[in-house]
Formats: sequence, C-alpha cells, structure tokens
Amino acid sequence: MESAQATGINAPGRAGEPLIRLEGIHKWFGNLHVIKGVDLTLQQRDVVVVIGPSGGGKSTLLRCVSLLEEPTLGRVWFEDRDITDIRADLNEVRTHIGMVFQAYNLFPHMTALRNVTLALERVLKLSSDEAHDRAMDQLARVGMGHKAAAFPGQLSGGQQQRVAIARALAMRPKVMLFDEVTSALDPELVGEVLEVMIRLAGEGMTMMVVTHEMGFAREVGTRMLFLDDGRVGEEGEPKDMFRNPKSDRLRQFLDKVL
Amino acid sequence: MAITESPTIRSDVAPDVRGPTAPLPAVILTLGIASLVIIAAGIVFSQVNYALSDRVLTRNCIEEEISPEDNGAIGVCNIVEALQDPATSGALYLGIGLGAAALVLGAGTYRRMDSKRRRDDAITGAVLGSQGILLAAFVLWFRSASPGLFAKHFLNFADLEGYWGSFVRAATKTLTLAFAGELGGIVIGLVLGVLALSSRRVVRAPARIYINFFRGTPLIWQLITGYFMLLFGFGIRLSTFVVAILIFALNTGAYAAEVFRAGIQSIERGQMEAARSMGMSYLQAMRYAIVPQAVRRVIPPLMNEFVILIKDTALVSVLGLTLADSDIFSLAREGQSATFNSTFFTVAAIAYLAVTLPLIGLVNAAERRLRSGLVGIAGAGG
Repeated sequence: MESAQATGINAPGRAGEPLIRLEGIHKWFGNLHVIKGVDLTLQQRDVVVVIGPSGGGKSTLLRCVSLLEEPTLGRVWFEDRDITDIRADLNEVRTHIGMVFQAYNLFPHMTALRNVTLALERVLKLSSDEAHDRAMDQLARVGMGHKAAAFPGQLSGGQQQRVAIARALAMRPKVMLFDEVTSALDPELVGEVLEVMIRLAGEGMTMMVVTHEMGFAREVGTRMLFLDDGRVGEEGEPKDMFRNPKSDRLRQFLDKVL
Repeated sequence: MAITESPTIRSDVAPDVRGPTAPLPAVILTLGIASLVIIAAGIVFSQVNYALSDRVLTRNCIEEEISPEDNGAIGVCNIVEALQDPATSGALYLGIGLGAAALVLGAGTYRRMDSKRRRDDAITGAVLGSQGILLAAFVLWFRSASPGLFAKHFLNFADLEGYWGSFVRAATKTLTLAFAGELGGIVIGLVLGVLALSSRRVVRAPARIYINFFRGTPLIWQLITGYFMLLFGFGIRLSTFVVAILIFALNTGAYAAEVFRAGIQSIERGQMEAARSMGMSYLQAMRYAIVPQAVRRVIPPLMNEFVILIKDTALVSVLGLTLADSDIFSLAREGQSATFNSTFFTVAAIAYLAVTLPLIGLVNAAERRLRSGLVGIAGAGG
C-alpha cells in the first residue's frame, strides 16, 4: 500500500500549486459588514495562520472557504472551480475540505468510531468494513484508538477535539480548516490537540488555521494573516511579522496577546 | 426611609434571632398526622362497617328520596347512614381539634426551632393539621347538604352490573383511538415539522396553514365536520370509528409538528454545520445527525400529547359510535341515559385515570431522565 493511503492524507501536491483562492470576499450580516474585501490564496502545503482581535472576522472568513457562510460578494475558487457559483456541487466540494470547530461538534448520540465512519459510509459510500478500518486508522493517528467505543460525553475536551480531527481527516481532504480549535479547551488539554496539528503540518497537509495560539502560529505557520476589522491588516512570514510588525494595529495586538 | 444603622458589624455579640428554643416539634408533627389519620380512618371505618352489616332502608334515607324500588338502594343508604354515624362525627370533630392544635402550635413556634429538622417537623405538622381541618370541614359540609342524592347518582354501583366487561372493552377502544391517532399524528407531525423549518417560504407556508388551522379550530368541530366533509365532499363513507382516528391523527399531527420543530431547533447549530462540512446533504444531516437527537428530546412532550389525546377521544361520543365501538365516555353516556344513574361517569373517570396515571408517571420519569443528561448529551458547550 502506498504511503499516502496508509497515512490517510492525499498525496501532497507540489508546493506552490494554488488550491484555494478567495477573491474580493465581503460578508454582511444584516447591516454588519464583517469581511471587507479579502483576497487570499492557499497553495499546496501552505499552513496559513489567521490571527487578529475577536470580532475581526477570522472565523467568518474561514467559514467562507467551505461556504458554511456564503460570501455576500466575491468568489471562492477550489482548485479550478468557482464554488460560489450556484451550480457548484458543494456537498462534493466539502468532502475535500476538512473542518474542525471550536465546539468540536461531535454527534453526541454516536460513539467516537461512528462519528468518523458516518460520512465515510453515507457520503463517500465506503463499505462498512472499509469505513471501519479507515476510521480506526485515523483514531489511532490522533491517539484515540482506545476510545473508539466511547461516546463524546465520556471524553475530555481534548479527546473530543482529537476525534473531531480524525473525523475530518478520514475523508482524506485536500485542505483542513481549523476554527479556534483549542479555544474551548482547558489549558492543560491544549497541547495534545496542537501536537496533532503540528504533526499534520509536518506531513504536508494544506491548512488554514484561525488561532490564538501565537506559539503555534510562529512555529508552524508558513504564512500569517492579521485580520483586523474585516480587512487584511498585514500579511507575511509569521516569524517576520512577530519580530517586526509593520503596522501599529498589529504591534498593539501582539503587545496584548504576547 | 433613611437607613440609620451604624455600618459597623458587631461580631462579638451574636444577635439572638431565634429567641428561646421552642419545645415539642415531634408532638406537633404527631398531632398533624393524627388529625388526618383519625378523620380518614373514621370515615373509612364507618363506611366499611355499614357496607358489611346487613341493614335496611332507614326512614332517614327515605326522606332523602331513596326509594326501596331503587336498584342498589340499600348500598346508597348505607353510605348516607355511615356518614351520619356517631363514629364518623366523632372522628371529624376530634380531627378538627387535633389539626387546630397542630396548626396553632406549629405556626407559633416553627421559627424558634433550633434545627432544620425540628423546624421541618413543626411546619409539616402544621400543614398536615390544616389539611385535616379542611378535609373534615369539607366532609361536614357535604353530609349536611344532600349526600343521599349524591350517592344515589354517583356512588350507586348496582346499575353497573353487566357493564363491567363493556368498560374493559371500551377502555381498549379508547386506547386504540388514542394510540392510532398519536401514531398517525407523529408521522404527520415529523413531516410537517421539518417542512415548517424550511428556509423557503413556499415550503413553509402550507405547513403553517395546516398547523394553524388544526390548532386554531376546536377538535369537536373537526370531528363533526370531518365526518360529513368526507361523506358529502368526497363521497367517502367510512365508519365513524375510522373517521375519528383520521381526525385525531390530523389534529395531533399539528401539535406534534410544533413539538418536532421545537425539538429540532433545540439542537445546536454546530451539529448541522459539522454534518454539512463533511459533505452530507441537508436531508442526510437531518436524518443521521439532527433528528435522532431531537427525537430523544421530544419524547416527553409527545407522551404528554398522548395523554391529552386519550382524554380528548371522549369527544367521539358526538359522532355516535356503534355499541361495539364505544369508547369509555360513550359507554358511560349510554349507561347513564339508560339508567339515569351517573355512577357510570364515576367509573369512567376511574377508567381514564387507570390509563393516564401510569402514563403521567412515565412522562415525569422520562423528563427527569432527560434533565439528568443521560440522553441527548451535547458534546460540548458553544
């Protein structure tokens, strides 16, 4: 078996190939203008980290990528498809875009294993044996193999989040979106989740990560976006941006969080 | 009013808010219990005593318009006589005395009890005492009015001979009506509930119209009109029993729809998002992620609807069911109009309670279970 199959990740494409492109994204919630014209390109193997003050539109932007939130204006391209086109098969597109949420959002009435196999069987139409094997592999990868039979309510926050990551990975997505996945965790549980994400980045997964973990942003991010008041305030190499922020807003923000 | 106390707290001298410790909490509790027990025991003892003894129709009873020709006259007379018996009177007045003592002592001293347990004892005693007084007063009032007339109409079971089997059959008919209606209603309700949640107005509107119509018109109107509408409007001739089930299902469907809608709306938004983010369609997400969770949450309110429907089936009596199809209430009405004895209604109430009380217990248990978080546990907070 080829190694990409074994690890459950799609064979990483050549670095530099555009995977996702956001063009002039605007989002209004009623009268509230949350995203005010954002352009962004995610290349293969990019780990794009999005930081910024709360209310700045980070999560909304991330959710626009998988169209959980529909941009009011602008286009989202996945590979060479315009997925904001009304005719796009979003269900199919979303199988390639893994998403992990702040609140884990595991299905509470299903075991950890069933959480992972559900979409494999119902969406990817795998046989239950295939789905089971793939799910067990993924659970083992995030160190949750021994808890496959547990219900979410019996797991700690960190364990639930790792199952949620396994659930998304089992679909073998081309890109993973992380929406403040450690924000709801007790401090001592943050590490186990970050560890999984760091390993994932190391394996070449394309990732977009909204986070408050500045250490993670600096060490793992290949690119960083400072989103402030719905606009990209600054963009560049994470280490660069941490060392010498160009704008006052970023400097102020970093002073507060570091 | 100006507050003039000094702001310093005098911690050296604890203010005695209780006053001297009150005595006798156990005595107060005993008085309260004794009051109720003596009243109840006195009444029951006399009734049993008269029911077992072989008595004749007294003059007193004849004055109460109980005639020797009446079926079950002796039994009715015994009830009246037992109520007037000195043993009953003694128990009533003694009960009132003990109850008053418990009430006065308890109310006067509970604040000064020196532990929570003793205070609870005093309060319980006082409350039981007041309940004893109320019960005794009620019985005294009742027996001073026309207990003979009442007993003759509501407590004369002699006319029910030959009907007991019918009541059992009628109870199964009532349950059949309610159960079939509820089942149909759940199916209709689930579909309507999902439709009512649609983001498209054209889908939502018909569901809303249906729900509002059936919630907004009386069930009795739906039963009567439904029968004739089917017959005259569509040429469908069904037995009244089947029509009744149909209307109950349609009506319950409207209420169940609201229950399902609320249940589905109560599931965290993230559940739908998680399902959709894995490529599931809206209907798949509903089917595998949302509805299974919602169903757990709607079990208690649906069971509640079922209890309501059991009682509402009594309305079929307006349709005139055949004798073989009679539900509990129809049967009671028949028996009552044949004998002019309303004891049939007394038995009907007992029959309804025999069915509904266990169900009410189940509903409460299900609600407790749901509240305790044993089912439908959400993975994490928002």
